[in-house]
Amino acid sequence: MKRRKLVDFEASKHLIELTQLGAEVNQINSKMCYVKFVLGEIKLSYVYNINKKGKYFLERIMPYPIPIREFDDESDVIKIIKFDLKQYRNALESRPLDRFIEVNLSMSQVMRKFEDLFLYYDIDEEQCSGILEKIDSISKDILDLKDKSKRTFFEKEPYHL
Amino acid sequence: MLLHNHILTAIIIFILTYVTIVSEKINRTIIAMFGAILMIMFQVLSQEHAIGKIDFNTIGLLIGMMIIVNILRMTGIFEYLAIKTAKLAKGDPWKIIVSLSIITAICSALLDNVTTVLLIAPVTFVITETLELNPLPFLIPEILFANIGGTATLIGDPPNIMIGGATDLTFLDFVINLGPVIVVIFIVILVFLKLFYINKLVVSEENKKKIFSFDENKAIRDKVLLKKSLIVLTITIFGFSIHHLLGLESATVAIFGASALLLISGCDPEEILVDVEWTTIFFFTGLFVLVGALEEVGVIDSLANQMIQLTHGDLVLTAIGILWLSAIASAFLDNIPFVATMIPLIKSVAVLVTFNITPLWWALALGACLGGNGSLVGASANVIVGGMAQKKGYNLDFKTFFKIGFPVMIISTSIATVYLLVFYV
Repeated sequence: MKRRKLVDFEASKHLIELTQLGAEVNQINSKMCYVKFVLGEIKLSYVYNINKKGKYFLERIMPYPIPIREFDDESDVIKIIKFDLKQYRNALESRPLDRFIEVNLSMSQVMRKFEDLFLYYDIDEEQCSGILEKIDSISKDILDLKDKSKRTFFEKEPYHL
Repeated sequence: MLLHNHILTAIIIFILTYVTIVSEKINRTIIAMFGAILMIMFQVLSQEHAIGKIDFNTIGLLIGMMIIVNILRMTGIFEYLAIKTAKLAKGDPWKIIVSLSIITAICSALLDNVTTVLLIAPVTFVITETLELNPLPFLIPEILFANIGGTATLIGDPPNIMIGGATDLTFLDFVINLGPVIVVIFIVILVFLKLFYINKLVVSEENKKKIFSFDENKAIRDKVLLKKSLIVLTITIFGFSIHHLLGLESATVAIFGASALLLISGCDPEEILVDVEWTTIFFFTGLFVLVGALEEVGVIDSLANQMIQLTHGDLVLTAIGILWLSAIASAFLDNIPFVATMIPLIKSVAVLVTFNITPLWWALALGACLGGNGSLVGASANVIVGGMAQKKGYNLDFKTFFKIGFPVMIISTSIATVYLLVFYV
């Protein structure tokens, strides 16, 4: 009983603080699911939430974080994880992932740095345009690499390429 | 021979269960249920008899009130009251302690103690963080007054609910007989706490002003639900006051209030019912069967005989003995199994003596409820708030609480002793 009561206490405290900040807070009973796969030396971890409102929030936390996505159907969550798992297994069979994970983690860090830059400093818009140009160049490099490389996964189409 | 074996079996199962509950090595609900089913499996009493031993008036009252409170807490009324009084106190820490203590005592008289502290403690942390004060001088009085306030009514504390369920004593009987002494105890303990915390509560003027940045109106999350809940709560409490005149049990009133509120609130019943403390309900159920088994084989009658021999059948000695035994036991042990055992014991005493045993019920209620303040493990509310404080990095351990709680328990039980002596025996 004690542990559940302590969770209730934390939830009540957050509710009061957030409400006083002007937020509209809706706390709902739900199940938080932590999912972990071990693929050799790579660990794939996800966290998602099942609730009665019919919305499912999925986030991958390892090997590198990808932002939360909202789904309307629980089968979509399982589908995403299934494809992710297949794609990682497939990728692991053909090539090492270390470099790929390293690039992804670096890009995540760059995003966080840029957020800090924006939130903590009064940045010059022109310099910002410079950063945008570099990102466009990276994006172009990715597309060039795509054109030069052999496709290995055909079960679904890429979201962003 | 068979009867003799049943007595021995019942005593062994009961003692083993009781010791395991006290040791807190295994969850109390699991062990109470296990002990109860052993009583049936070893044929100390039949399944039918075991079900007959469960006091459904107590169970119904607990479930009904839990449902009403689960809906009422969603409205934010308790946070509203706490913020409003903190603002009225203009950030003065002692005035805030007094205000929160009054709110806690009143809420605790109408709701169970754990729920009360769960509603008041989070907002207390928010207020003390704003004032940059240690929350313990606020939280400890809230624990103490939750236990003290809960003593005043039939629905305020599980021991009273159990006593009410097992006797003809009504909600008004509890208020009239226990209310006055609780008011006296409240005032005396407040003075004691003032002396204890004097010079320990210093707040800068700047932090005091921060309290005014709170908006109590933001705390109310659903005005319509608040109105509906308060109407139903008022009707339910009024129903408790007159249930004996209507020929209804208190559980009927509570379940009526709960189902009426579920009906008009529009709340999802699954969400509300899932938050009913089913572990507590099953714990009570197991205890009723365990104690019922002792009653069935004659152990309770035998204990009552011994008690009367010990006190020579004297009302003063019996009442004061029950009061202090309950207070000391409840300070360190779970008071629910203790009261569950004492109820049939006092009922058996009634058969052996010529005096009116009603003062014994008040002695049991006062001792079991006020005794909970004696130590950090004396009541569930203490343990929960202790856990909250530890989680936030404040050391509310056994020793820290004992320094204040134990003297408070001694003072309040002493006042209760004088009250019983002057008005009842």
